[in-house]
Amino acid sequence: MRGIYDVVVNSRRLQYKFTVRRNITIVRGQSATGKTTLVDMIRDCNENGIDSGVTIRCERDCVVLSGRNWQRDIAELENCIVFIDEGHNFVLSQDFAKAIRNSSNYYVIVTRERLENIPYSVDEIYGIRISGKYAELKSAYHEFYQLYENVPYDGSTSIREIITEDSNSGHQFFSEVAQSIGVKCNAAAGKSNVASVVMHSAGPLLIVADGAAFGPEMERITELMKIREDIFLYLPESFEWLILQSGLIAKEHLADILAKPYDYVDSEKYFSWEQFFTVVLQDSTKGTAYQYTKSRLNPVYLHENNKMKILAAMSSLSALLGR
Amino acid sequence: MLHIFYGDMPEAIFNTAVFFRNSYDDEWIVDAFSRQMIADVDSSTVLGTGVIDSPVLGKIAPERLSGGVKTLMLVKFMPEMVFNASTCGNNCAKWLLKIAENEDRTINLRNIMDFGKGKFDIHIINDDKIVHSMEELLPIAIKYV
Repeated sequence: MRGIYDVVVNSRRLQYKFTVRRNITIVRGQSATGKTTLVDMIRDCNENGIDSGVTIRCERDCVVLSGRNWQRDIAELENCIVFIDEGHNFVLSQDFAKAIRNSSNYYVIVTRERLENIPYSVDEIYGIRISGKYAELKSAYHEFYQLYENVPYDGSTSIREIITEDSNSGHQFFSEVAQSIGVKCNAAAGKSNVASVVMHSAGPLLIVADGAAFGPEMERITELMKIREDIFLYLPESFEWLILQSGLIAKEHLADILAKPYDYVDSEKYFSWEQFFTVVLQDSTKGTAYQYTKSRLNPVYLHENNKMKILAAMSSLSALLGR
Repeated sequence: MLHIFYGDMPEAIFNTAVFFRNSYDDEWIVDAFSRQMIADVDSSTVLGTGVIDSPVLGKIAPERLSGGVKTLMLVKFMPEMVFNASTCGNNCAKWLLKIAENEDRTINLRNIMDFGKGKFDIHIINDDKIVHSMEELLPIAIKYV
């Protein structure tokens, strides 16, 4: 499935209105904000239709997945938006991660657990808040809000260390840049190690990671940021996305792809947008001087002009990088 | 004291909402401590053993209280059991500390709950350490969740 979908769930007393933008959406936050009530309303509508007193407006079917037969049930769902309430431990399993990979459905999962097997975006982790009441109907209006604002590092504090999530091309690029300005650059050997590396770093430090799949780490990092003021984040969709943004690569419809990736990223093919942008970059550069591989950075990207173009795509880092 | 086990704990009750529905006593709802928790976390008023007045949902049965408050009541009234307290948001943290102020309680956490900026006494079972602040708790919790 591709695209973004507005969802409006109504009863006489409650209304929820939100937009689902990617294959995985996580809902968490404080208790008593209405997370379970939302899933219950959708379940009521699934089971009882108009008799439920609940209406759902969405281009796609919204369904609830629960219980021990989840594997049988999920196999029957296609092109749906699937809601899962907290309390179902199957979402923690490798089997679940496997089942939703290459799935035509989008999933909205209520959980405070990391779900480290699932590469969800930092931008698709939401809380629910009541934004008002309709005076006449006494109806409460609920909306989603981003729990972790992906506000990039603004370059106003000098950095001693850059931490990247792995040692692939992105790390090789940032190592080169860091070296040129006398800053250390360490790879965390996987995103799940980033928090541990941060704890052992003296700081001030900048975490550079693929925002498209860094969601499972955000709680740990933001809790560390509450007790340390010297941790900064730079979370673009991915390093490949940065290169595509830089203008170095020519490709038909690239501007539209970058502006509206949700119209191009097929959930059956790509578990995360990071994977999609990697394939776009690899396909676009195949057989050219810019041929891209994820594991080893093509030195052409480190040529001064090319490097500066990529850096220019990271406008928020310009102060750090001395531009 | 509050004892926390971080990470997978098979003996802990994972789906606290279902467990609450089939286990709660009427007396829990009208207990003075429960009334305070329900007022604080759910912004709701207990009218009787079977009715709570919610500003959003109207008059509701105890089963429709928030997942956080239901878990808090299980922790409070079933001290011999261990519950998955990751069904509680951070707005429940102070109540977990209050419940365990003068009695021992063990909970299972599978995320990093923020216990606030104040001082506290929490025993982390995984490392058998007592911590007194988030600065002390965080490095241990991050190892396990």
